[in-house]
Amino acid sequence: MKRVYAKEELCLNCRLCEVYCKTAHSQSKDIIKANKYEDPEPVSRVTVCGDKMLSAAVNCRHCDNPKCVEACITGAMQKDKKTGIVRVDEEKCIGCMTCLAVCPFGCIKTGKFAVKCDLCCTEDEPACVKNCPNRALVYADFGGKG
Amino acid sequence: MMNYVIVGASAAGLACAEQIRKEDKDGRIILLTKEEYLPYSRPSISYYLKGKVTEKDMLLRKPSYYKQTGIEIVTGAEVTAIDRKKKTVRAGRKSYHYDKLCLCTGSKPFVPPMKNTQSKENALTFLDLACTKALKKKANKDTRAVVIGAGLIGMKAAEGLSKICKSVDVAELSERVLPSILDAKSSKSVKKFIETEGHITFHLGDTVTEAKSKGGKITSVVLKSGKELPCDLLVLAVGVRPETSLAEKAGLEVNRGIIIDPGTMRTSDSDIYAAGDCAVSVDMLDGSKKIIALWVNAVRQGKAAGSQMAGGEGATGGTFAVNAIDFYGMRICTCGLINAAGDKYSDRVIQSGESYKRLIFEGNRLVGFVLINSSENAGIYTNLIENKTDVTTLSGDILGTPSLMWFDKETRKSRLKGESA
Ligand SMILES: Cc1cc2nc3c(=O)[nH]c(=O)nc-3n(C[C@H](O)[C@H](O)[C@H](O)COP(=O)(O)OP(=O)(O)OC[C@H]3O[C@@H](n4cnc5c(N)ncnc54)[C@H](O)[C@@H]3O)c2cc1C
Ligand code: SF4
Ligand code: SF4
Repeated sequence: MKRVYAKEELCLNCRLCEVYCKTAHSQSKDIIKANKYEDPEPVSRVTVCGDKMLSAAVNCRHCDNPKCVEACITGAMQKDKKTGIVRVDEEKCIGCMTCLAVCPFGCIKTGKFAVKCDLCCTEDEPACVKNCPNRALVYADFGGKG
Repeated sequence: MMNYVIVGASAAGLACAEQIRKEDKDGRIILLTKEEYLPYSRPSISYYLKGKVTEKDMLLRKPSYYKQTGIEIVTGAEVTAIDRKKKTVRAGRKSYHYDKLCLCTGSKPFVPPMKNTQSKENALTFLDLACTKALKKKANKDTRAVVIGAGLIGMKAAEGLSKICKSVDVAELSERVLPSILDAKSSKSVKKFIETEGHITFHLGDTVTEAKSKGGKITSVVLKSGKELPCDLLVLAVGVRPETSLAEKAGLEVNRGIIIDPGTMRTSDSDIYAAGDCAVSVDMLDGSKKIIALWVNAVRQGKAAGSQMAGGEGATGGTFAVNAIDFYGMRICTCGLINAAGDKYSDRVIQSGESYKRLIFEGNRLVGFVLINSSENAGIYTNLIENKTDVTTLSGDILGTPSLMWFDKETRKSRLKGESA
């Protein structure tokens, strides 16, 4: 399947991926509203870790054998058999965060539900990749199930 | 064609069935449960009680899923006997032949001796959907509820009831709330938070010794301390014990839980396996034998058993406790050896305002954590525990937010690629 890959040697810690992820997952889809005014505040699913010296945008790996899915106590977290995308069913999720407790990459954020990357499901390219000015994020298929 | 029979259709049983299907496309898989429901999320019963989820949302899989995957599920089928010679199990009038059998019978409630609480219509346990429905029917805005037990299940019952009832009192024999997951210090602040948020009254170091009743209904309970509390609804949530009666009757080796070989998940009969809350686990962190009555452990063991039954090599990949839970928005995440005692362990604590973080080490290895409102990226800690990583190889403050940047370049690269961590 296609996944988002981060290149730490190209990352400038500008955090624009976070800004655009937040916008893409907001109610208004408006960059200003989403990042300044919207309540509840949208959550960025991608996180730039590190500092100005060394950083990388860490994002869900949509693992072949996802620990978050194995650990989910409600069946809300599932890996789609066709697309390979690991997604949360918000109707079922109770927000216990057991998935967060086992994701070895630190890719789940706390919210009313488990909040994580959905690869912008409907888009041809996820918002973070599309808007990274330094090409530090690539969307590509290097194998793996899905 | 192989015949697989699984007793109990919850976390372990379902994971077992699914794993068998992955590795054996043709075998016949029969999943028997005495409950009247398709597999559902047991931990969600408190969310159902307070009205956060519907019954439909609690189902682990869609009803059509079982047919699609060829898993024959039979509800309302309590297995009462195993014939190890004939290799059959009996449920009601039916008997099922197995080549491989897995016992995933889970937990049963532990009810300590108390005077006059037996078969009272308003004394209930809190372990499955059926009793939760009964509880929900009985609880209303005039109800004065008493919960016995301030462990995970008791506190979840109390939280759910506090949204419905007039008052909720919790009696707990231990001096602290959530004694199995919190240390003395953190449990004090958690208790205070729950008292304020949930208007729950605690009676710690105390328990119910006797109930007073009228016409088959409890009207009040008397505590060890002599206090008497009016009571319209009594919830017995002291704890759980492994459900081993079937295994015992069949002559399998049982010591608190069903004894299994941790590598093959086999019981003392090589065609019978066991997984989940009913089985004895070996904690990979200290080698101790214990019951780890948690969802993730049940799923991992169920998967491993399923693989072994189908002739595969699947293993649990290390067994340890990991749990996340919330009370009134307060998030508690715990893992590993929380109550580790002895000279070989040390711990580091950081606390500010509502958040608390305690890391437990054995030498240079992380072996446990307690995180309250500070669970950001907790899975990275869990991964350090699971991999027995030497934490001195990490850069960055271990008490800070766990980060990919803690690792060396090679590890970072492979993780960004998504290679299994
Ligand atoms: C209120 C509550 C909250 C919880 N919250 C959490 C949480 O947040 N996180 C967590 O990790 N864990 C939690 N747990 C624990 C978790 O639910 C268990 O660890 C998990 O359900 C164990 O799964 P299991 O498959 O081993 O057994 P169980 O879920 O106990 O299922 C066993 C099944 O087998 C059936 N059965 C037993 N004997 C027979 C028989 N003879 N014939 C047919 N069927 C039989 C039972 O009816 C039952 O359906 C919670 C539990 C409760 C009650
Ligand atoms: S959330 Fe974590 S465990 Fe789950 S698929 Fe993504 S990277 Fe893997
Ligand atoms: S937070 Fe939601 S998705 Fe994560 S384990 Fe809990 S129920 Fe599953």
